[in-house]
Parts: sequence; structure tokens; C-alpha cells
Amino acid sequence: MARCSICGKRAVYISRALAKGYCKKHFLEYFDRKVRRTIRKYRMFSEKETIIVAVSGGKDSLALLHYLVKLSKRVPGWTIKALLVDEGIRGYRETTIKDFLRVAGELGVEYRIVRFRDELGYTLDEIIEIGRRKKLPYHPCSYCGVFRRYLLNKAAREMGGTVIATAHNLDDVIQTYLMNIVKNSWEKIVRLGPVSGVTGHPRFVRKVKPFYEILEKESALYAVLNNLYPKFVECPYAQQSMRWYLRKHINKLEEMYPGTKYSMLRSLLRIIQLLEDKTDKIIEGEIRSCRICGEPASHDLCRACTYRLELGIMDENGNIIRDIDTGASGNQLSR
Amino acid sequence: MTVIVRIIDTDKIWQLTGVSGKTIREILKSIGLIIEEYVISRNGEIVSEDEIVGEDDYITLYPVVSGG
Ligand SMILES: [Zn+2]
Ligand SMILES: [Zn+2]
Repeated sequence: MARCSICGKRAVYISRALAKGYCKKHFLEYFDRKVRRTIRKYRMFSEKETIIVAVSGGKDSLALLHYLVKLSKRVPGWTIKALLVDEGIRGYRETTIKDFLRVAGELGVEYRIVRFRDELGYTLDEIIEIGRRKKLPYHPCSYCGVFRRYLLNKAAREMGGTVIATAHNLDDVIQTYLMNIVKNSWEKIVRLGPVSGVTGHPRFVRKVKPFYEILEKESALYAVLNNLYPKFVECPYAQQSMRWYLRKHINKLEEMYPGTKYSMLRSLLRIIQLLEDKTDKIIEGEIRSCRICGEPASHDLCRACTYRLELGIMDENGNIIRDIDTGASGNQLSR
Repeated sequence: MTVIVRIIDTDKIWQLTGVSGKTIREILKSIGLIIEEYVISRNGEIVSEDEIVGEDDYITLYPVVSGG
């Protein structure tokens, strides 16, 4: 049997990249050491913080919430709060919210749930349908990403958050890296560091990724070992994305050439470093305030307002335009 | 003599015979699954993919790919 390299007990995890095995106890120690090192190395938190953990109800964010709540017991100046953005994806989000509520209850953590339906007037399902009818050129994941980030920042600020922690892991980060190489989007790549670069806007809450160096498999194992693993449901839109294909190929590569993922992360960190003094040329213009909503924007309008105007779900004064027919798909019933 | 492999919370289930003595890694490979994508439990206990499968083992796979 495969054994722990430290104590010789049966291994629950082996890393071929590191040529090591870990039993449960030593895996959890390895995991803790790795995350603490990331937090320290990139100066993610100071001694006094209100940390808003962005949760989806998926295993990565439940693992992060569990981990930070435990760690915060050793740091008196930290307050941890959870924030869940409910996009309104039928048959998906209801399940993950249940898992989130169970874990939040067990941890006794304060939380807030923010809904697309309340904030934007429509669920993601409805927004996608409106976009299709208007023949807008956006993928479901684009609407989701833009509106989620927007509401996350806004709600975290309202909750008194000094920093937002997201559960992006090493796999997420290198998938995004590859996607943006394909799309030649260097302005996105320079922002893929462990700590968000955009600062200096009064409404912008800093973002950090404590699981930046944690493999997806490691965060899943942490979730399983701590009884956090949620009921498995896949986002119905996920299989349509480039990310989904890239993930499969990267995982196959890792199997053939162990260490590929760590190597790709080093490649990303290196290119961010090399581009550092050129960042002004890559990211055009300064950070501004959106003409309609006042949130941080890189143009006259923020992305969320641009989308909302194109969708026709908001007017030029920022008022929600209600009761747009979103078809017979039954989405109206989900309200 | 049958080894069962199931992806948790799905109807993806395999009943395999003549596989005892093989590693979980080999078995997953033979049914077209990528080891990187699953945490493995055997008869309720978390194990690594290098574990050798015994007769009548029940293997549960926890997908590590996040749904979002
Ligand atoms: Zn050990
Ligand atoms: Zn705006």
C-alpha cells in the first residue's frame, strides 16, 4: 500500500510532483503549512481585518471558509464573514445554498446572501435568455463573472469588509492563464496574481486568493476529510466553456508529466513579474468611477452597467427595467 | 469477485470483474477517468490511487472539478 512519507501510515494522498505520500494527519498539516506560507509570502492579511469569504457552496469555497474560520481563532484582530452570490441558476444553486447554510451554521459564521434577482431584477437564467434573444455576443460565463464580481465587491464593502478572500485554487488560476494566452489578453494575465492589483479606488475592496498554490484535488480532499464535501452538482453552463476543455487537457498533462501544474504557475508568476514595469502600457487608462453606478470602472461605464444597458434591463439613470418577457422556458416560475 | 466504482451523487457506476490485484490508478485509467479529477474512497476510507484493489471493493469517487 501507498504510505505516508512522514509516519508510514496508509496514505490518503500522494503527490507525484513532490514524490511524497501523506496520511490524513500529515496531509492536513501539509495543507495548513502551504496555505499559511502563501498568506505570509504575499502579505494577504494584516493583523486587523474584516475578511469577507466569497462562497458559492462548492467544495473549494466551503474549504476556504472552514480553513479561515479555524485560522482566525489564532488571530484576535480578524473577523470572518461569508458572502454568497446567488445568480439564480435553476437546479444548481438551490443545492449549493443548502450545503453552504449547513457549513455556515456548523461554523457559526455571520453571512449574507446577495441575489441577482434582487440586485439586477433578473436571475442569471433570465439574463442569458434575454441576451440570446437580443443576439448579444456573450457566453453565459461572461454575464455570470461580470455580475458576480460586481455584486461581490459592492456587498463586501457594505458588510464592512477590508479584504475579500476567494477560493480560486492553482488549477483555476492556470486555466485562466491559458485561456488568456489564447485570447491574447495580457491585461488579464497581469491581474492574475495572488493579490488583486487594482487599488486606489475608494469603492474597491482588495481581493486575495489564499488557495493560490493549492491544487484542486488538495482542496477537494481537505473538504472530504473535514466533512464539507457538498452534494455534487455541476453548473449547467460549465460544459460549454473553453475552461472545461482546458481543465481536461491540463489534468491529462499532469498525469503524464507530474509537476506540470506547479510549473505553469511558476511561468505565470514569472511573466507577471517581467511585465510589472510595463503594466501601465498593458492596462490602458486609470481606474475611474462608473458614470451610472459609481463603482470602479476602467472606462466611462463599468462592465456591469455596460451589460445591463445592452440587455435593456436598466435605464441610463440606473433604474431596473422590469417585466421583460424571458420566454416560456419556465424561468419566470423560479422567481 | 466484483469491484464497483461509482462517482458520488451520479448514476455513473461500473461493475468490474477480474481487476483485483490492480491499482486504483490502473482501473480508473481503463475506464477512461483522469486520476487528477477524483478523490478516492475505498469501502468508506479515503485512499490514494496507488492502492491495490481487493475482491468486492466498493470504490467511491469524489469529483474534484468545481461546479462553480
Ligand atoms: Zn503520516
Ligand atoms: Zn456601473
